[in-house]
Amino acid sequence: MERRTFMEIIGAGSMILPPLACNFRRPVAAGPTFLDGIATTCELCPNKCSVLAVVKDGHITKLNPNPENPKSRGMLCARGNAAVQQVYDPDRLKQPLIRVGARGEGKWRPASWDEAFDYTAKKLSDIKAKHGPEGTLWSSTEGFQEIFFKNLGQAFGSPNVMRHPSLCLASVNLAYSMTFGTVPSFDLLNADYVIMSGANRFESIITPDTMDLIGGTMERKAKLIYLDPRFTVTASKADEWYPIKPGTDMAFILAMMNVIITENRYDKAFVESVTVGFEQLAEHVKPYTPEWAEGETEIPAQDIARIARAFSDAAPRAVFYAGRRSSWYQNDFQMRRAQALLNAIVGNWDRQGGMVPNQKIAKGEFLVLPWDDPKASRVDEVEKAFPLASAKDGVYLPLRENVLKGQPYPVKGWMIYKQDPLHALPDQGKTMKMLDQMEFVGVIDIAMSDTAWYADVVFPESHYLERTDPIEVMPGIWPAAVYRQQVVKPIHDTKPCLEIAQGLAKRLGLSDYFDYTIEQWVEAEAKELPVQNGLAHMKQRGVVAVSQPKYGATLNPVHRFLTKSGKIEIFSERLKEAGQDPLPVYTTPVQPSGGRFRLVLGRKATITHATLTNLPWLHEHNPENDLWIHPEPAAKLNIRSGDLLDVSSSVGQVRIKARVTQEIRPDCVFMLHGFGKKSPWLKRVHNVGAADSVLLETAWDKVSGNAAMHETFVKVVKV
Amino acid sequence: MATKTLKTAQSIRRFAMVIDAKKCINCKACVVACKAENQVPLGVFRNWIGEEASGEYPRLRMSFDPEQCHHCADPSCVRVCPTGASWQREDGIVLVKEDDCIGCKYCIIACPYDARYHNPETHTVGKCTFCSHRVDRGEVPACVETCPSKVRVFGDLNDPKSQLHQLLATRRYEVKNPQTGNGPQLYYLL
Ligand code: SF4
Ligand code: SF4
Ligand code: SF4
Repeated sequence: MERRTFMEIIGAGSMILPPLACNFRRPVAAGPTFLDGIATTCELCPNKCSVLAVVKDGHITKLNPNPENPKSRGMLCARGNAAVQQVYDPDRLKQPLIRVGARGEGKWRPASWDEAFDYTAKKLSDIKAKHGPEGTLWSSTEGFQEIFFKNLGQAFGSPNVMRHPSLCLASVNLAYSMTFGTVPSFDLLNADYVIMSGANRFESIITPDTMDLIGGTMERKAKLIYLDPRFTVTASKADEWYPIKPGTDMAFILAMMNVIITENRYDKAFVESVTVGFEQLAEHVKPYTPEWAEGETEIPAQDIARIARAFSDAAPRAVFYAGRRSSWYQNDFQMRRAQALLNAIVGNWDRQGGMVPNQKIAKGEFLVLPWDDPKASRVDEVEKAFPLASAKDGVYLPLRENVLKGQPYPVKGWMIYKQDPLHALPDQGKTMKMLDQMEFVGVIDIAMSDTAWYADVVFPESHYLERTDPIEVMPGIWPAAVYRQQVVKPIHDTKPCLEIAQGLAKRLGLSDYFDYTIEQWVEAEAKELPVQNGLAHMKQRGVVAVSQPKYGATLNPVHRFLTKSGKIEIFSERLKEAGQDPLPVYTTPVQPSGGRFRLVLGRKATITHATLTNLPWLHEHNPENDLWIHPEPAAKLNIRSGDLLDVSSSVGQVRIKARVTQEIRPDCVFMLHGFGKKSPWLKRVHNVGAADSVLLETAWDKVSGNAAMHETFVKVVKV
Repeated sequence: MATKTLKTAQSIRRFAMVIDAKKCINCKACVVACKAENQVPLGVFRNWIGEEASGEYPRLRMSFDPEQCHHCADPSCVRVCPTGASWQREDGIVLVKEDDCIGCKYCIIACPYDARYHNPETHTVGKCTFCSHRVDRGEVPACVETCPSKVRVFGDLNDPKSQLHQLLATRRYEVKNPQTGNGPQLYYLL
């Protein structure tokens, strides 16, 4: 056939291409070769995707995905691609800064590292002398160098080392580990039936779940049922979307269990051999019929029953996906427990297409000199108030309450790494008060976040592409270990967190605990990786991974689950002993009244963390946030898209533009995170749009202490 | 594209792209990757994602539409260019020689797909190049490589072993506005 004719045929519209007899041509390579870049690991969100950085004349020109990592599956998202711009962003912090004016006034003077270290060490020592080491708080968000920051806080003697899970997925982790003794992953690539409730997996990218969901639902035509008050991208791709009434997800799940148990659709053999407490559950869910749930959720009873049947028919290749991010309501733990129980009774545990306990890759450890246990107990009193929660991670919102009250003792120094509490915590006003009552605040970050703007000393950290980090193990169905190695030398006067910790340690008399280099640390870790020449392998390829999932390892009769009974705990004695409901009990959530709306939160693929909105390549897609409001209430309030609105809750008020849209329930409003910044050094988003944290009220899940982010009702008035 | 002998036709590669828009999640990874790869200035784009919403609450629909230059078989942009700056390679890739572009914008008007932009920094016209510099090294365009859902498949139409060819042989597809006569080479799966 002549080429021109061929082009015309295939260009003519929808039709099948006729088979052609052509010579074989060399196909275009599927991906880059390893010579094309320096292997490293993305840091712009917790997914840790593997990256190949292209460098020309000492300048990073491009980041490409490293296809060897089975978790990132050969992709790099918009944020990951924009990281190169972050390195060369003129808004970056370029040298240590010491505040000279009043807090928040914005008067800074550049300082040498020695001066900044001396100054900070003096302040911390003064606080220690007056209030003991427990008078300091050390808070951070996850990252490969977080360990050095934590270690410094612990070596200093503070019990108040505060990690971020209680602002993230602590309730999910606790619910699944209370039930299964471990937190599993969900095999979305192989599942035939997936239910997601509020987990907007196509906009909040989690690897490999997002890609696997695409593979599962779009290539294998698995069913996706999606519950969310908002019509998201995930809703648009789902087979069925239900704008569920907020706070009633547990009712939906209980009713599914009611149908599955009454109709004998559960996995009897599995339930009998590996679970305890099924009888109690069967009794417990009797009143929770689909008809009852319809009243709670506003989802038709016959749909709930149909979904329950289809779900159990598809099991074990069926999952009710856990979701993550912060908890929503004060019963979040119990709602996640209900999910876990639903998954358990259909027997999807450790099966292909079901829930799979994580595999791990072994790595070595660099042993550090042990420090003494802190003498004081934690200021958040987590052991007393949340005995089931992780005492190591702490509970952030209860901590803030106690610090504000000075109970049980005063906390006057606050060191912050890689976190912006003014945006990460609800009720910005309260966080501001907490900052105000500190005698000293030190922040380590790469940009002048809002919290940094209110600090006393700001330490500029080197960008992830400018430093070498510890090796990180990522458990999963496709586990991997990844390495972040330096791609270029720091372009400004910045240091990695380890060197900042060492600088402070030296002046605090804690040098012995930090007597090593990053190279020694990494070498020790690489030694026990399951590959030859671990370190050389990591330097060249950046990742060690298991590409074949293993199913069923825990399904042998001698396996003991890491629970009290050694079985999957449907009825939890431990919860009962701790004074909590041993089975998830439903209470009808309070709904907004008096013309108010429930404020719901979410993310999109270009923006997850508050730090990302100022990056030009991401900012141009989302220059400002607005308030989503349904046309029906908007008409009543005479609001049109673009109108300025005053939005207020019991704790704060913001001004924001309206977006009138069908894509949200009439009783909810929504706004994107990461705007309304106070720091003028984030010039693209300074005073642009509004911050959700100003409006959000303080509420937490009763069992895990996890911040509950959907408990705020707001009033909306046209300006 | 004059008539060619069978032999020549087979030895020439003809690059094209297949787009499975249903798999697109509008994550903009491709858009940012393109900016990074090709130093595209802020405010203008070589590729973009169209968005279409319809229906009434709660029966809503939304679809996404990855767009860029179609590397037409008979490109009107090349035809109207007075300086020869817009040109087409033998393998079908349509390019702009920056040095020869006088910024007259004829091609921007002539392109039925709105694929070209005026570069505010250089005052020349820019557009998608299929990352020809990467293709010449045996790699795929940056947007193709980075996409989490692998919406885009790039390849040689004349290579029956390519994934692109297989997709076109087994799936239904359409091209946009075939009536323009430009012979667009972006194939959208149905
Ligand atoms: S999902 Fe995106 S931001 Fe997160 S680690 Fe991967 S590439 Fe980086
Ligand atoms: S899409 Fe427009 S710019 Fe691209 S080849 Fe066709 S006519 Fe030219
Ligand atoms: S990267 Fe892929 S999924 Fe994301 S917007 Fe582009 S085409 Fe769509």
